[in-house]
Amino acid sequence: MIRYIARRLLLMIPVILATSFIIFFAMSLTGGDPALLLAPENATEAQLHQIRSDLGLNDPFSIRYFRYMAGMLRGDLGQSYVTKRDVFRTFMDRLPNTLMLAGAAVLVATVIAIPLGIYTAINQNTWKDTAGMVFALFGVSMPNFWLGLMLIILFSLKLGWLPSGGKSGFLSLILPSVTVGLGLAALITRTTRSSMLDVIRQDYIRTARAKGCPENTVIKKHALGNALIPIITVIGMQLSNVLTGSVLAETVFSWPGIGRLIFDSIAKRDTPMVTGSIILCSILMVIVNLVVDIFYAFFDPRIKANYMRKR
Amino acid sequence: MKKVLFVLVALMLSSALVFAGGSAEKSKGQTTAAQDGIPAHKSELIIGSPADINNLNLQAQQDQINNIALKLTHQNLVFFTNKGTFEPNLATSWEFVDDTHIRFHLDPRAKFSDGSPLTATDVKFTIDMAMGSYVANNLAGLVDTSIVDDHTVIMEIETYNNEFVQSLASLPVAIQSKKAYDSGMKEPYLVGSGPYMLDKWVEGEYARFKKNPNYWREDVGVSDFITFKPILEDSSRVIALQTGEIDVCINPPINELDFLAKDKNVTVFEKAGSRLFYFAFNVTKKPWDNQKLRQAVACAIDREAVLEVAVYGKGTPQKTILNRGLWGFYDDMEGFNYDVDRAKALMAEAGYPNGGIKTSLLIANSSPYINIAQVIQADLKKIGIEVAIQTVDDATLKSTAISGTHDLFLWRWNEDSKVDFVYRDLFYTGSGSNYHHYSDKHADALIDAVATEKDQDQRMQDGIELQKYLVEACPQVPLYIANLVIAYNKDLKGEYLFGGGNHDWKNAYIAK
Repeated sequence: MIRYIARRLLLMIPVILATSFIIFFAMSLTGGDPALLLAPENATEAQLHQIRSDLGLNDPFSIRYFRYMAGMLRGDLGQSYVTKRDVFRTFMDRLPNTLMLAGAAVLVATVIAIPLGIYTAINQNTWKDTAGMVFALFGVSMPNFWLGLMLIILFSLKLGWLPSGGKSGFLSLILPSVTVGLGLAALITRTTRSSMLDVIRQDYIRTARAKGCPENTVIKKHALGNALIPIITVIGMQLSNVLTGSVLAETVFSWPGIGRLIFDSIAKRDTPMVTGSIILCSILMVIVNLVVDIFYAFFDPRIKANYMRKR
Repeated sequence: MKKVLFVLVALMLSSALVFAGGSAEKSKGQTTAAQDGIPAHKSELIIGSPADINNLNLQAQQDQINNIALKLTHQNLVFFTNKGTFEPNLATSWEFVDDTHIRFHLDPRAKFSDGSPLTATDVKFTIDMAMGSYVANNLAGLVDTSIVDDHTVIMEIETYNNEFVQSLASLPVAIQSKKAYDSGMKEPYLVGSGPYMLDKWVEGEYARFKKNPNYWREDVGVSDFITFKPILEDSSRVIALQTGEIDVCINPPINELDFLAKDKNVTVFEKAGSRLFYFAFNVTKKPWDNQKLRQAVACAIDREAVLEVAVYGKGTPQKTILNRGLWGFYDDMEGFNYDVDRAKALMAEAGYPNGGIKTSLLIANSSPYINIAQVIQADLKKIGIEVAIQTVDDATLKSTAISGTHDLFLWRWNEDSKVDFVYRDLFYTGSGSNYHHYSDKHADALIDAVATEKDQDQRMQDGIELQKYLVEACPQVPLYIANLVIAYNKDLKGEYLFGGGNHDWKNAYIAK
């Protein structure tokens, strides 16, 4: 297992190299000149040249890229063009907020989706199944931008129960996590239902029932346990997406997360911030996927046995 | 299995709780009782802004929201009022020694937030630093700053300039402490002489300012804390105002104003603004080097319709190129009002009786440009000009406009203090923001005359002639000046609002 983890961690090196090159190259292809966003509107060409020189933008792409990579090898992801702050530090300042939102959203999604998925599976082809699937469809169809505003109007403006945005304690986490979580719940519900339907038709489930095992135990112990692998895969994927893809929810709720940081940085042509943030996000995604893979081993003894054999 | 699930859920929940609770700021919604002539007020004034504060280093940033925040902590030699006039500030008075030397007398009481006195050394240090920074253009024409004594400096300029002193009211050249820089402290630029000082800044969340205990003048602020909270989404910002989470909503969305005005706890304030939105040509590129053709386009654009779709009519259609409210504003010229028949006649004079022109319009991918572009596209179709709208981000628009590869473009210019920042920056040969690539010796001479003519009557005549000349030359079609619209708690007092949005909040508070 340890060797497997080490190998996966080593695989991060080509991922980082490829990501950094693609992002750096893509940013260099965009038309806007960062100097123009930093300079006053009335800046002269000499001033613009000076700014580009200060930022190293007058050098060719290859030199800028290798200089950036050399800095990265020393653990230096550079300094933001706009804020003049250290990229790594800025990212790490925002990371807990994103982890908090992503964790809470996945929690909300899991708490809703797994019971609902099981419920619809064991009531397949009934009105309960249809209602559950309509709910799932509703969740995946609603833009979280719109849903977020509706929740703010209801719970903040009309009822006055929750803050409308910002990060000011536990209460401020509820609306954004529900907004993001409802979107995630849809896919997890469908996956849970589909996985459960596969499992409950298996012979060992029929055997368990024939042996007189209570239905509750059959579902919880025998069926759900074996249906969990695809569900964990989906939850892991959703978590990866939420870590970087909650820009709209972060904007609506003024949540100071990584998604908003990257979005703003792209708009400002802040290449060091964009590149550094995306590299760190890709590392984060590799780690999340690794954790998901490790979870497989915990939930499925066959996978664990496979690791043991390889040792 | 159950144990693992339990541990997983517990871990996620507890981490969320720890993170959420750990960084939560204690609310400062409480009231401060009246004392020492300061009225009872809400302890903290919270301003909801549509942009993040991203840099508080005065000379290394350009964003309006940073400047507004820095107005709390720093002061300039002169103060620009919201009536368009200039008043003494750190400099109690100034006089021209001769055409090229201006003597400034500093207020001997002035001191920084660290308690150290603000002297001529700090003024020279700040101005010299600015001359080597990105903001040097604010001090165009300055040759040297010399210290006469602790409270007197002389600035030497290349030639007499009517507006040089006004340049010193620009926030990036607010006076900073040399001692702070010499001490090697981190972020020395935060040491200013204003009534507030930075308390805490959490990037992306808020920037909170507290009272400066060493403030040297009588106009100490009222609010104990003034906080800027970025709420980028317009509707969320409006709701936050209605729920009382913020006290001021900067730039409320125009389409929600009627709804907001019905809230008895909210005041929606509107006044004439200074932000000019304009449609313009790259006059070096065919066919837009044809003056008659540009005039035809100017006649074909329905400014009232543009104003309606862009800002629901909350603004003033504009005929001249100068921002409304600036010195010498003049719009009694005939100009080019909306007249499709005249536009068609001018098209014929320009050599395009049947239209047949295909062109592209470069716009920024944000409100209100997209709406404006669609109206103009429809208007120009009526005179046979087919416009393809090309939407890009601000940086790309600027780069393309500077490179001169564009045909038409939409842009805005916000200036409320110096006419030279309009004439020279937009129309002078070779200016960095002359995206029209307009170059005309007579216009350049008039621009120089407005800047340097000492006889103010003659200067006014030059200004009027320049505006008439530029409107006739038509490198741009001024569209409208957007009103300032802002919404705030009905109990807000002491606000000091500028039409261009560079508000001064240092005396603002919520009365209790």
